[in-house]
Amino acid sequence: MALPRPATPLHDRPAPRRWTQIDPILLIVTLLLIGYGLVMTYSTTAETRTFTGDPMQFVIRGAIWAAVGMAAMAAIALFDYAWLGAFAPLLYVFTLGLLSVVLAIGSSSLGAQRSVNIGGLSFQFSEVAKVLMIIVLAKFFADRRASIGSPLTMLVGLALLAPAVLLVYRQPDLGTSLVFIAIFFGIAFLAGARIWQLVALVAIAAASFPLVWALLKDYQRARLSAFLDPYSDPQGAGWNIIQSLIAVGSGGATGKGLTAGTQSPLGYLPIAESDFVFSGLAEDLGFAGAVILFALYIVLLVAALRVALRAKDPFGMLIGGGVATMLVFQILVNVGMAISLMPVTGIPLPFISHGGSSLVSVCFALGVLQSVSMRREPEGP
Amino acid sequence: MRQPSRAFVSVRRFIAFGVAIVVIFSTLTARLYDLEIVRGDYYHQLSEQNRIVRLPVPAERGGIVDRNGYVLARNIPGFAISVIPVDLSRTREDELSQRLAALLDLPSDAIGDVIRAQRIRNPYEPVRISKTPVPREIALVVTERAELFPGVRVDPESIRFYVDGTLYAPVIGYTGPITEQELAKLKDSGYLPDDDVGRTGIEDVYEQFLRGTYGWREIERDAAQREIKTLALQRATVGNTVSLTIDDRLQKLLDAELRKGVDEDKFTQAVGVAINPQNGEILAMVSIPGYDNNMFARGISTAELAALNADDRHPLVNKAIGDRYPAGSTFKMVTGLSALSAGTATRDTVVNVSASSFSVSGTTFYDWRAHGSLDFVHGFAHSSDIYFYTLAAGTPFAPNVHGVGPDAIAKYARMLGFGAPTGIDLPGEDGGIMPDPQWKIATFDEPWTIGNTYQEAIGQGFVAVTPLQLLNAYASVANGGTLWQPHLLKQVTDAAGKTLPIPQWTSQKLDMTQENLRLIREAARRVVTIGHAYMPNLKIPIAGKTGTAEFGASAGKDSAGRNKLGFHNWFVSFVPQADNTDPTAQIAMAIFTYDSSKSLCELCLNPAVGMTQRILEQYLGPNK
Repeated sequence: MALPRPATPLHDRPAPRRWTQIDPILLIVTLLLIGYGLVMTYSTTAETRTFTGDPMQFVIRGAIWAAVGMAAMAAIALFDYAWLGAFAPLLYVFTLGLLSVVLAIGSSSLGAQRSVNIGGLSFQFSEVAKVLMIIVLAKFFADRRASIGSPLTMLVGLALLAPAVLLVYRQPDLGTSLVFIAIFFGIAFLAGARIWQLVALVAIAAASFPLVWALLKDYQRARLSAFLDPYSDPQGAGWNIIQSLIAVGSGGATGKGLTAGTQSPLGYLPIAESDFVFSGLAEDLGFAGAVILFALYIVLLVAALRVALRAKDPFGMLIGGGVATMLVFQILVNVGMAISLMPVTGIPLPFISHGGSSLVSVCFALGVLQSVSMRREPEGP
Repeated sequence: MRQPSRAFVSVRRFIAFGVAIVVIFSTLTARLYDLEIVRGDYYHQLSEQNRIVRLPVPAERGGIVDRNGYVLARNIPGFAISVIPVDLSRTREDELSQRLAALLDLPSDAIGDVIRAQRIRNPYEPVRISKTPVPREIALVVTERAELFPGVRVDPESIRFYVDGTLYAPVIGYTGPITEQELAKLKDSGYLPDDDVGRTGIEDVYEQFLRGTYGWREIERDAAQREIKTLALQRATVGNTVSLTIDDRLQKLLDAELRKGVDEDKFTQAVGVAINPQNGEILAMVSIPGYDNNMFARGISTAELAALNADDRHPLVNKAIGDRYPAGSTFKMVTGLSALSAGTATRDTVVNVSASSFSVSGTTFYDWRAHGSLDFVHGFAHSSDIYFYTLAAGTPFAPNVHGVGPDAIAKYARMLGFGAPTGIDLPGEDGGIMPDPQWKIATFDEPWTIGNTYQEAIGQGFVAVTPLQLLNAYASVANGGTLWQPHLLKQVTDAAGKTLPIPQWTSQKLDMTQENLRLIREAARRVVTIGHAYMPNLKIPIAGKTGTAEFGASAGKDSAGRNKLGFHNWFVSFVPQADNTDPTAQIAMAIFTYDSSKSLCELCLNPAVGMTQRILEQYLGPNK
């Protein structure tokens, strides 16, 4: 029996760190996905004629960000996630602060103010804000297990969520604000919230759709119309959808080969290395490449859910649930967009979309998950 | 080990979560299966269509040469001026428009509009500014002072060049930009909106031979429509060379004589056509005044076109085939052959032309003199009107000679090709008029009179012929009774030098005896040796028939008080191989001078006769 560690003001019972309890499957699949992402960055940018300069610049930058992400993952895994819970209110304020900074001093690109430039690097604070919001909401619901059935708990939870969603929406980044909402539903669901309350929330959202429609920007409305009928404006709002479908479909069973795709290097696929990266993947590697990606994702999600199931406390469980929700929602929306099952929104595909903020944030989230895994109760004999 | 309470875990919710993940990935996979496996080929095709575009490579138009290979139409290099909007800053747009306008003689507003429209459509794609090919000097200005012409591109293209423009324009015609209606019809044959097509003449009729086979270039292009690289190339094949039956030497001899007469104002218009009676090949075809078809090739200006259209001598019409005239005495050949063939006359039919006029029911008909007693040969040689009035409808001068009548004349005239197009391989051929009593009833609702027959007998009245019709009729007499389809196409040769199949030319046998045809040839020879078209010191056995055709405008009264009408002159000739009546002629020629009355008296020598002698002696003579 190990010696008890000294108690801290935050721990009534210190949780020992056990390296042996790192989730190996989660770790391996994370590394495989990072590798897959680098391969896809190479494949979609090596031949591109939209950019000039070193054809490897994107791969090198992606590798650097992958290293940063893995370091962040390792660091956060060492850190007892209970501390994150203890500082949850601070994290919440910090999150809203980050999102406000983006609106105040963020730089514009493609008509949206989503990133902040620091020392020549651009950061999308909303990416890390998603992970911080998972921690905040997990802590909120974990602490209210007793009153989970009360509508008041849901309303307070929504009140916590609303400022973050609105700040992100103002950037404007409809997609990411939807990720925040999805995270809320995922965590509330696994926390044991009443199903009728969740259904009621969805119903209210659906009923208020005309109001939301009125609040949407013109380009967002055009994207929704184009989603319903891309050929109504094939050169305009429908262009991305049609070209994405062509890219995906033309990949066939095994794809055209790495860097051999034509839709993205020739500029038919816009933002082919991030938003529409899945279209490039399906074109280059075909149905087979997509199924391999899906298999890796499923393993990752199952591993994340297993960590959640085995967590020693509700906070750890809900973190696992929140991370799984975030991942599955982003995958659904990004892939769905590429194959015209979802309207066009700028949500990155985890690991595969080229972008440092997204990758580091996902690694950060998985680091927290490993922290949860490492501090679970050991398996029984 | 203390076993913690795991009551906070709701396994059912996790199972539900897991099911949701399975549903989501199944849906995505099913959709991907449909897109990539089921409809993969369809989308693959779409991606290729996106990326690969096949551009046409225009082919050079084939050349046109005379029967000896002398070049009549070829292509010379010209240049097209285009602007690529993306390489031209908006601030310099007006400046460039004005500079190009001055250089190309186009309105600068229009140039600016074209550039702005293209900037919106696709700024990476060059838009053509010059409407017609630009000569090298102007292209050089643009390329050498490139800093003054931002975004301007110069591409080579060819200009059709007609070596002897005005001389051959009535035959060769010209090419011009394809119209939208034509394009709609020809698009399937590979015609493009910027293409030129033959507009008239040989260029039009033999478009299918002259137009080359366009090649293509498959290029890869990006989403901005910029060309990335050439993937495949099929070279264009130059059009076929069209050889005409024309002999440039004869064409120029004929043109020189006729042009001199027009220049000296002896007549206002002139036509000369020569044919090989043995096969219907046109050896020369001159129509004056004509026009320079190079004006059309380089893009005719509105003023130039207006001037051509305002000229009442119709320079754009090939008068050898496109207009009809009274045949005058040349038509006596038809009247004579009709009477001979119908059996109402023989070579020994004698008419005693004891006076120079006679009257029938109040109308007086004249001859140009009281000839005395004439048989067929002498009646023809001296071109006695009364002799042929007699053969046509009978006169008091020979009570025992029965006129052959207008129906027989019309029948044999039509057999000789009058009243219908000859079928020459040129557009715009007139069929002439060959009247008969039914025609008059149908046209004027008036009965035919004997006066109509008299007028018709000497090629006046309703009879109207094209110079080519008249020539072809004489050619059929000269060759012993075969009416050929006259034609200009001799041979078509492809780029590799191989001869291509060309149309079969038709011919018809005349239902006339060799004896009668021989008699006409004999009489025609006598026209030159003793008769109306005496040619002094003639070195070759020319035979022929003169004609003086009166037309509407009166030129005052002569001493006898008759209306002095304006008149045209004809001389139709053929040259047998030896001075005999055998059907061996290899050349027949018709010369027509329009309104010769301006400086000539009616009884003066027919100007066409002298010209014919000079031309044929030079063409066929020993020092040719």
